[in-house]
Amino acid sequence: MRDKTAAVLPRSEADLPGLSARSSVPLGRVALLALAVATLALLPFAVTGYVLYIANLLLVFVVLCLGLHLVIGESGQFALAHAAFYGIGIYTSGLAGNAFGWPFPLSMLLAGLVAGAVGVVIGAVALRMRDIYLALATFAFGEAMQWVFLNWDQVTGGPNGLRISPARLGAFEILSDRQAYPVVVVMTVLMLLLTILISRSRLGRSFRAVRESEVAAMAMGIPVRRAKITAFGLSAFFAGVAGSMFATFSTYIHPDSLGFQTTILVLTMIVVGGLGSIAGAVGGAIVFGLISEFLRQTPSYQEIIYGLILIGFMMYAPRGLFAFIRDKVGGGTRG
Amino acid sequence: MTSKTTQVWLGAAVLAASLVHASSASAQEPGLTDKTIKIGMFSPLSGANMAYGFDVVNAAKMYYDKVNKEGGVHGRTIELVVEDDRCNANDLVSAVKKLVEQDQVFMLNGGSCSAAAVAAKDYVVRSKIPWVMLNASADGALYPPTDYIFGAYSISQYAVGGSVVDFGKQHLKAKKIGYINHDDAYGAWNLEAAQATAKELGVDLAVESINPNITDVTAPLIKLRAANPDMIAITTYAKPAALIIKKAHELGITKPIVLAVTGTANVSQLVDNVGSKDALKNFYVQDVLADVPGGSKIKWVYDMYKENYPDLASKPDHPQAYMPYGIAPAMSVVKALKDAGPNPTREKVAEALRTQKFDSGVMAGPIEFGPNDRAAQESTIYLKFDGNQQTLVPGSFQSRWKYKG
Repeated sequence: MRDKTAAVLPRSEADLPGLSARSSVPLGRVALLALAVATLALLPFAVTGYVLYIANLLLVFVVLCLGLHLVIGESGQFALAHAAFYGIGIYTSGLAGNAFGWPFPLSMLLAGLVAGAVGVVIGAVALRMRDIYLALATFAFGEAMQWVFLNWDQVTGGPNGLRISPARLGAFEILSDRQAYPVVVVMTVLMLLLTILISRSRLGRSFRAVRESEVAAMAMGIPVRRAKITAFGLSAFFAGVAGSMFATFSTYIHPDSLGFQTTILVLTMIVVGGLGSIAGAVGGAIVFGLISEFLRQTPSYQEIIYGLILIGFMMYAPRGLFAFIRDKVGGGTRG
Repeated sequence: MTSKTTQVWLGAAVLAASLVHASSASAQEPGLTDKTIKIGMFSPLSGANMAYGFDVVNAAKMYYDKVNKEGGVHGRTIELVVEDDRCNANDLVSAVKKLVEQDQVFMLNGGSCSAAAVAAKDYVVRSKIPWVMLNASADGALYPPTDYIFGAYSISQYAVGGSVVDFGKQHLKAKKIGYINHDDAYGAWNLEAAQATAKELGVDLAVESINPNITDVTAPLIKLRAANPDMIAITTYAKPAALIIKKAHELGITKPIVLAVTGTANVSQLVDNVGSKDALKNFYVQDVLADVPGGSKIKWVYDMYKENYPDLASKPDHPQAYMPYGIAPAMSVVKALKDAGPNPTREKVAEALRTQKFDSGVMAGPIEFGPNDRAAQESTIYLKFDGNQQTLVPGSFQSRWKYKG
């Protein structure tokens, strides 16, 4: 059957090097990919555990951003409960390890599936809502989940937080950032490839069709309800996996870390990177995460600098960092 | 080769070997040279929670400066590397890992936020680095006790809750106490000790646990009023505490109100937020210092602050209320370094800390650790506060709660 969406819908900006459907791959992108691969591969041999901790944390935020990109950037559903799904992932993974001693690949899968299942339910409930109403409803869900994390003492440790056993695979235990790093990198790459596959698939095109116009999408025979629910479910799955990645190198979680601020941080990252762009989601997470860490060294002025950077981005790069760079480097005016 | 030459060579070899041996302990210890000891500090230095740590770090710094001016510790000068932990778990772990792995500090002296501090527990214990907290109670990192983490220099949350009940029973003769705590880690910990102390002293507790971000406290206060307690104990942060005190006055509650140290970061702000000094007619605040702020016993701390930070001291609301809390942890670090001898190792310092006992002269009780206890300070004093004057209530009060393992 012919894919009805393929001919008429806008392309995703998932133009990562070597993965484009187009036949020619620009040399610059190949070089960028090679640089990224070399950096990721050589990092553990060149830096301290502190830098690897930051790298691990940034990669977790990359996966979180990819998840939020699917539901907001691709599908246009303004969902604000990402921290809740992230928390579900952390607690599920942590509890699977603590209580049953599950190996971390299984815990990761379970974390993604549980968060994804909750995402599907929330997606189904939120079907009738859009724009600000959807944002408020998902925000309320996020707040409710934080309350659950805080008060379900027997399961989450409640206000005492939850101590997470080291991630394990057989007799091997992950006890340092250096040991966790390869796992986190592999998972990030897998989730990035999955995002690109989804974005370039019929499903991704239906997401964008829904984003552009639900009425037009429906007229073309796209199952809008299913697309929305799937977007919610996939986004939550990504957040759940990100949570389980966090649990490979962190041994403690407290509900304070799973509030609205975390959702806003991820949202800021994908907006600054470039809403609707996979490269933007990845770059936004890395650039903004690094800015935040660097600003920690200038405590007296960090809020002011942080605010100025955000305002600067919104004024001079409203389509995101990568669109800005592409325009400047290419000298183009593509809008 | 002549025998003299042989002797010279042998002597040189022995000297070299002894030098290598003597320096091996130091060479193996990061952050330690013959002239310096590097200590990593971290605390919230920015953002909304800055009041919990900024001046606490300043107090510790000025104490270390004083020690350096007096010749250092066993001839070594203390060098500080200070990081902002933003009162956030991820940032605190980043700060700790940077200090340990990048800056290569010898030991840690930091942490003003309990929930965030607990996140670094496993890493510190695995890395076997002595960690002396600043003013974080971080009971989750202190119980069960470890060999490397020492905290609650201001007070542990367990001691906060237990001592407020002790004060209620001993000074106010309360038989029933209305107890308002947070529904978070702080609240759970102080309630546990409050209940244990109440049980031992034969006091009834009527408990209301509230969200730290609560905006309307009418319902919990009406429930407490219905329980008819002899006093109301508040162990929340300052914001909900101000709401509770104000609402209690509006509801005509005239029983004594006792505010725990967790809510006293800025008492002048508290008076402003409560709005009416009539609400403070029967009001007490808990403190963990040896005297009223600026009182004769601890005046030297405030004087030292003015001397070291004249610009800050001239600003309103400085020094911040928790400033003196930074002195006792710094004293503890210096004492442990001294006790560890001229060739300190991290293990020797941790060992010295585990059996440490001294009177700081700044805090209400002694700084004391034991085999099963890593919480340094467990005593409190109480001040009657009418919105202007703080009058010291004689005596100090303690929790009856003990960690049982």
